Amino acid sequence: MISLRSKKNKEGSLTTKGEGPSLLGLGLSLPPFLLVLVFVGLPILIGLTFSLGFTTGPNRVIAIIGQQIHKKNHWWGTLGAYNDVIHDSRFLGDLSLTIFVTVLSTTLVLLLALSIALYQRLIGGRKASVLVTLSIVPLFVPVVISAWAIHTFYGGDGFMRTLFSHFGINFPTLTSTPSAIVIGTVWTSLPFAILMISSGLQAIPDALIESAKDCGASSLRVIANILIPLAKTPIIIAASFTSIGILGSFTIPLFLGPNQPTMLGVEISNFFGAYNRPQQSLVMAFIVFAVASGIAFMYVRSNIKSAKESGRL
Amino acid sequence: MSKLLKSSNLSRIGINLFIGLLAVFILGPLLWLGVHAFAKDWHYPNLYPSGLSLRWWSKVFLDSALATAIKNSLIISPIVVVVSMFICLPAAYAAGRMNFFGRKAFMITLFSANSFPKIGLFAAIATLYYALNLMGTFVGVVIIQLLGTIIYMTWIPAAAFAAVPKNLEEAARDAGASKFTVFRTITLRLAMPGILVAIVMSFLASFDEAQGTYLVGAPGIFTMPTEMYSLVQNYPIQVAAVFSILLAIPSVLLLGLARKHIMGGQLAEGFQLK
Repeated sequence: MISLRSKKNKEGSLTTKGEGPSLLGLGLSLPPFLLVLVFVGLPILIGLTFSLGFTTGPNRVIAIIGQQIHKKNHWWGTLGAYNDVIHDSRFLGDLSLTIFVTVLSTTLVLLLALSIALYQRLIGGRKASVLVTLSIVPLFVPVVISAWAIHTFYGGDGFMRTLFSHFGINFPTLTSTPSAIVIGTVWTSLPFAILMISSGLQAIPDALIESAKDCGASSLRVIANILIPLAKTPIIIAASFTSIGILGSFTIPLFLGPNQPTMLGVEISNFFGAYNRPQQSLVMAFIVFAVASGIAFMYVRSNIKSAKESGRL
Repeated sequence: MSKLLKSSNLSRIGINLFIGLLAVFILGPLLWLGVHAFAKDWHYPNLYPSGLSLRWWSKVFLDSALATAIKNSLIISPIVVVVSMFICLPAAYAAGRMNFFGRKAFMITLFSANSFPKIGLFAAIATLYYALNLMGTFVGVVIIQLLGTIIYMTWIPAAAFAAVPKNLEEAARDAGASKFTVFRTITLRLAMPGILVAIVMSFLASFDEAQGTYLVGAPGIFTMPTEMYSLVQNYPIQVAAVFSILLAIPSVLLLGLARKHIMGGQLAEGFQLK
């Protein structure tokens, strides 16, 4: 738990703590760093050059196989593929659906997670544990299964329609609509948000809440002025990881969403495989990455700020 | 658990309703799919299947492609986890216990690698895989799945190592224990819950990985999730239901093993950059 956190030396000063020289630390951290560099950094870099029209060297094969390839016409490349994508009406539909689902699902996940975590913090008891345990369940279900289970549950001959038809109500078929994507992404994203936010709220001392109540603060005031501000960092972490995950999601929109428009994760795969337009596919990946980087920046900033406030940096 | 607010009758009804709705939302789809594994036939709008049957189970076990996929998954995922431990745990120790130049940059690099859309990364990785002759190989699949485990296997244990109180180690050293003994009996033991959570999360990440595995492994190497993609298109829903139950067994077993630590904050602690 957070209270067990050990005190650290000031960051940046290269003093060792009697546990070996700093070179050892650098050396130990090299293997995963190199792995990420070679199998994530390098492909992204090569992919970037390909999206800009560099079709020689490592990109030679893919440039021969792919269709509608733009070759560079300046020393820095060309924006031809980017132009294709931005002026593609399908892309604009996909992009708006992706952003709509990301914003709506993230909001729903945060609201759900916050209310359950606040209930657990302020009231507690067996019902709170039941709520938290229920929300953790999706963490342990492979996403392929959850996507397929939700597909059948809300489908044309699924449970919801079956149940409601016995009351004479025609429940809509949600599968293959944006609503089903939202249901699916909320379902799969809930556990992480709950874990982050509930752990953040548990770390706030009882004394703080009690003294505020003694001074006559209402529950709502306690929540708005004490609990949420003090758990701000975990909430932002939950928000950024949830939205980045949803932004790039593939399996959920593939199984649950409509064919057209679809989320960009599915479209990237379609353009790469079915349509054989790898350059445009990578352009979309970079656009998603640009949005995700903006969110990631918020996450890093919030972490550094909270580290500064608690004197760890 | 502290009772800091009093609940009225009305709110008690409200919370029970909320629990009921959440249970239907979370468990409903799983149960609905699970029941199909034992159903003979099921026609809309009947609330019950036309009978119970185990024949879909024998269909799965007698199908050699499905059996191979199960075997592949059970071989590949443990290998991925062990390799990931060898590569990441020393780094996690360093990130948790030592100050070295670029420590923060290291943690952030691992994170930003995670924010590139996976599907785009896999498209980009194909080029490199052709160049390195990794396409369609066992090693290629292991590396693809390894990438998804790194963030869990470094961040969570790093936080766990950082939380081990220094004075405990110093006291043991003063009492004459060797450096190795201190590491084994104190540092490692206290960090164990975090490492356990990292192992569980890494196993699940590897076991569930479908997109990259399909891109790199197909048509030679199929795992359970990649098989599931073709299954849902080519077989009746009951077969997919049986396969889902099989696919969920390892996860449920691991849930029992690590639930306490995951809910105790080990996972959450790992995701706060320090």
